Amino acid sequence: MENAWLIPLFPLLSFLFLLLFGKKLKEASAYVGILLTLASLVYSVIVLVGRLTNDTYKAEADWLQIGNLQLTVGFEVNQLNALMLVIVSLVSFLVHTYSKGYMHGDERFPVFYAYLGLFTFAMLGLVLSPNLLQTYIFWELVGVGSFLLIGFYFHKDSAKAAAKKAFIMTRIGDVGLLIGMILLFWQTGSFEYDEIFASVQAGEVSGTMITLTSILIFVGAVGKSGQFPLHTWLPDAMEGPTPVSALIHAATMVAAGVYLVATMFPVFAASETAMATVAIVGAVTAIFAATIGLTQTDIKRVLAYSTVSQLGYMMLALGAAGYVAGVFHLMTHAFFKALLFLAAGSVIHAVHTQDIEKMGGLWKRLKFTAPLFLIGTLAISGVPLLSGFFSKDEILIAAWANGNYVLFWLAVIAAFFTAFYMFRLFFMVFTGKPRSEYKNVHESPASMTGPMVVLGILAVISGYVNTPWFGTFLGDWLVEGNEALGHGHIEGPAWIMIVATLVSLAGIYLAYLMYMKRSLAQDWFTSRAPTVYSIVNNKYFIDEIYQSTIVYATKAVSLFLRFIELFLVEGLVKSVTGIVQGLGKLGAKLQNGQVQAYGTVAFVGLAVLMLIFALTGGYL
Amino acid sequence: MNSYYLSLLVFSPLLGIVLLALMPKSNEKGLKMLGVLATLPATILALLAYFSYLGGKDLASFSEQVNWMRFSDFSAIHANLFTVKYELGIDGFSLLMIVLTSVLATLAAIASLHIKNEWKGYYMLFLLLEIGMLGVFTAQNLILFFIFFEITLIPMFFLIGKWGYFNKEKAAYSFLIYNGLGSAILLIVIMVLFAKTGTTNIETLKVLVNGGEGQTLAAMSESLKMGLFIALLIAFGVKLPIFPLHSWMLRVHVEAPPSIVMLHSGILLKIGAFGLIRFGMGIFPEQFETLAVLIAILGVINLLYGAFLAFIQTDFKMVLAYSSISHMGIVLIGLGASNEAGVQGAIFQVVSHGLISALLFFLVSVLYERVQTTQMNELGGFAKSMPIASGFLLAGAMASLGLPGMSGFVSEFMAFLGLFKEMPILAAIGALGIIMTAVYLLRAVLSITYGQANREYAGIRDLRSFEWAPVLVLIGLIILIGVYPAVLSQPLENIVLGIGG
Repeated sequence: MENAWLIPLFPLLSFLFLLLFGKKLKEASAYVGILLTLASLVYSVIVLVGRLTNDTYKAEADWLQIGNLQLTVGFEVNQLNALMLVIVSLVSFLVHTYSKGYMHGDERFPVFYAYLGLFTFAMLGLVLSPNLLQTYIFWELVGVGSFLLIGFYFHKDSAKAAAKKAFIMTRIGDVGLLIGMILLFWQTGSFEYDEIFASVQAGEVSGTMITLTSILIFVGAVGKSGQFPLHTWLPDAMEGPTPVSALIHAATMVAAGVYLVATMFPVFAASETAMATVAIVGAVTAIFAATIGLTQTDIKRVLAYSTVSQLGYMMLALGAAGYVAGVFHLMTHAFFKALLFLAAGSVIHAVHTQDIEKMGGLWKRLKFTAPLFLIGTLAISGVPLLSGFFSKDEILIAAWANGNYVLFWLAVIAAFFTAFYMFRLFFMVFTGKPRSEYKNVHESPASMTGPMVVLGILAVISGYVNTPWFGTFLGDWLVEGNEALGHGHIEGPAWIMIVATLVSLAGIYLAYLMYMKRSLAQDWFTSRAPTVYSIVNNKYFIDEIYQSTIVYATKAVSLFLRFIELFLVEGLVKSVTGIVQGLGKLGAKLQNGQVQAYGTVAFVGLAVLMLIFALTGGYL
Repeated sequence: MNSYYLSLLVFSPLLGIVLLALMPKSNEKGLKMLGVLATLPATILALLAYFSYLGGKDLASFSEQVNWMRFSDFSAIHANLFTVKYELGIDGFSLLMIVLTSVLATLAAIASLHIKNEWKGYYMLFLLLEIGMLGVFTAQNLILFFIFFEITLIPMFFLIGKWGYFNKEKAAYSFLIYNGLGSAILLIVIMVLFAKTGTTNIETLKVLVNGGEGQTLAAMSESLKMGLFIALLIAFGVKLPIFPLHSWMLRVHVEAPPSIVMLHSGILLKIGAFGLIRFGMGIFPEQFETLAVLIAILGVINLLYGAFLAFIQTDFKMVLAYSSISHMGIVLIGLGASNEAGVQGAIFQVVSHGLISALLFFLVSVLYERVQTTQMNELGGFAKSMPIASGFLLAGAMASLGLPGMSGFVSEFMAFLGLFKEMPILAAIGALGIIMTAVYLLRAVLSITYGQANREYAGIRDLRSFEWAPVLVLIGLIILIGVYPAVLSQPLENIVLGIGG
């Protein structure tokens, strides 16, 4: 564990190496990236195993001296960090492998792998950070990785717009985080997590300040994790290549917001308002994004909205004091959502479209992809015995136990929607009549199916590390030695599990009726409530609202300032130059070339001087 | 105490000027080569000084003094009364500025290889400008400072007026008028101080002016001090520039040749910040304290004003010009905070912005060399035809918008850290500027590198031969400071402690 800081450096090496030599290596670049992330993965597993038996390890070095203040950098291996290390390096390794097939033939293949390396470096650095400042540093760097990869197809205007939007929207959140962290620093005198927690627990920070700073920090998490109202960048981010969507916009970076709240949990927990804010934003996002997911027809966008929705679940869990539930769902979601994205990529790779209305009947053609996609769909829908079932159950129990009944029911409804739209997606893509134009569709190469199989297995079994039936190993381990995080397992009434199961099955059944059996018309709802449908289908017009308020307001301010610039500032310039020119003209008159004038001035001047001399007697 | 090291450093470009004068006008290659080489001695000496400082050498040992001017003979009262010495010296801050100046001068000389005509006159003026800049940062008294300050103005005037773009004459005159007025005000301040105290030595003035009643030769009332300080604020405010004194600087940014803008934006603007810190804060600390809120407000105005206007520009050079205004706001914000973090942030920003804007303007010159325009609506898709230059442009923009791991972040972070301690609400308003910076820079850079061009630019070549050097050096320094800020903070330790304490 002492050398855990090496873990992020392997992908960094990959980034630098491919930047320099990628052009020569061409597609062999993939092996550089794969091998170096494999090194990170192996090391991460070793660290995780080490952390199971040893205590938290932390090391620091001086970074920046400001007068008497000393800021440090370092790394910390605690339970959450060790777990995140493995999740990030595993998904990154699988995505690196998968991309070898998916990106085959792209002329910027080495650049893609370089960017993946940069992102993985930043993400691993983020989860090792022992203080807020360092977290912020890597937090921004993952944003850049995400930005570069969203805009990978830079010649497309849509990709350019999406990349810009992602960067700016998340930066709005980041400024919140920055302000929160600086305010907290002046309150506690440190950026170090443990010192901040000690100071908060000792009551050195006033209640309002805790609430204010934790909400500001939460704003950062809202931006990064695509929570309402800063969620609009995440669906657009699907412009990036699909493996990127799996890695960054499903499994790792977007979960960073959840990770941040989990890391700062002792501070959030000290403020009821902050906790309530987190829970409400989470629950609202969960149901809000789920409803949008019902109407989308782009396979990646459906998955994107489901990501937003699931991240909302995690936030809800944390806000409802379910620390373990939130982190647990983060883990299972990383696996099944990465699986879904990779499988979706495999579908896109095969049929070259993302529109699910143009797909159908692919079950027989994609013999690996289809069952794996089904596993992911079952897991996210919360079907019993798969990973998503256990983690979602924990969240619902936490929400109930915390007394947030409204939020609890919102989450239950969102679970119903999730099951419905995920199976709608599944049925539309894989069942029905095969389309004639897809006769020559082939299954993807082994480099792509391999990683999907690994994720498929994890999507099934990863829930068993923390179940009410066989033991809550993960939960007990996560909170061990830290009472501020709450209990490893929250007891809840048994009916919650039954309700969750029934709701998910109901969603699946409804989707089955509509899209598989087709005994229920697909436009049954849309024809009855066209206005509602139109609002939801247009994503509640959030983008349009931003466009007509914030974007226009910014432009208006700019134009107003240009007005000032043109009239006030330039007016100042004119008056300054005018004065100088006036003086110049005055001076020029003295040199008009008329000897008489010169003579007059000379004599008058002499006369004046003599007068003064006579009056003062020579003394001034 | 006399080592002549600094004199050698400051006047080393003179050798180049003499040799250039002896060369034939038409020898393009030779003139360019000599022009670049002539900047190297200063760079080497400056770097040597920096490393010997890191190696433990005392900066005071670099000082030198020679008797120069004497006004009447007051030696009966005090040996140095009404004398002006030729005295050079450095502290940690000016050491950094000298290293920055000499390195940027070398890189700008390399960038000047893009210059198309009259190389002889160009490089001679260029080297004269370098002498002026180096002198400004080493001068130990106000008279000498003023002389060096003026030396920068004249070559600059001709460099803009002769080698600039279409409206070059107008830009050159507006540069001269504004800076001339600024230096006139500065001269008045210097003369009043000289008359009242009998000295212009900066260190002595720091003691005398703040020594309470009766310390100075003639009494200085509080209101006089305040008046002098405000005059200084205006004089250096023109240079920095502070809103609304900035319009001359926009013209220079747009009309001057990019290699000169590298120096202008990288060093000359910083003289304003240097003067404010050295003289404003040094000689008038109480007055500075009184007006700290005003300075912070001016900083936030600069930051936001520049950012919002950069957002609607159509010429990339204008975007960068407004971005300079915006970034100088961060210097003011740090100074307005006037605590350790703020001042250190301001100084970091001075160095960091010098490097970043030099990088960006160098890339402008690379771009202009190839496509003869910087209008953004005519550009686009350059990531395809020149991936390397586009990559560096994006990296430069990222540095400029304060991406962690690069120098811009460290300075921005410290300036805001400082201001949040003193004036949290103002700082929160200023933090909007962090968002706006990302907005306008991405808009500008992506419209050049991403997407498709409005017209076809065929056969454009990526970075070639000599163009690599400035780009690599600058990005290397930017990342070095961002990752290991101790390279800057170490020389600044005593200064910051002195101010903050």
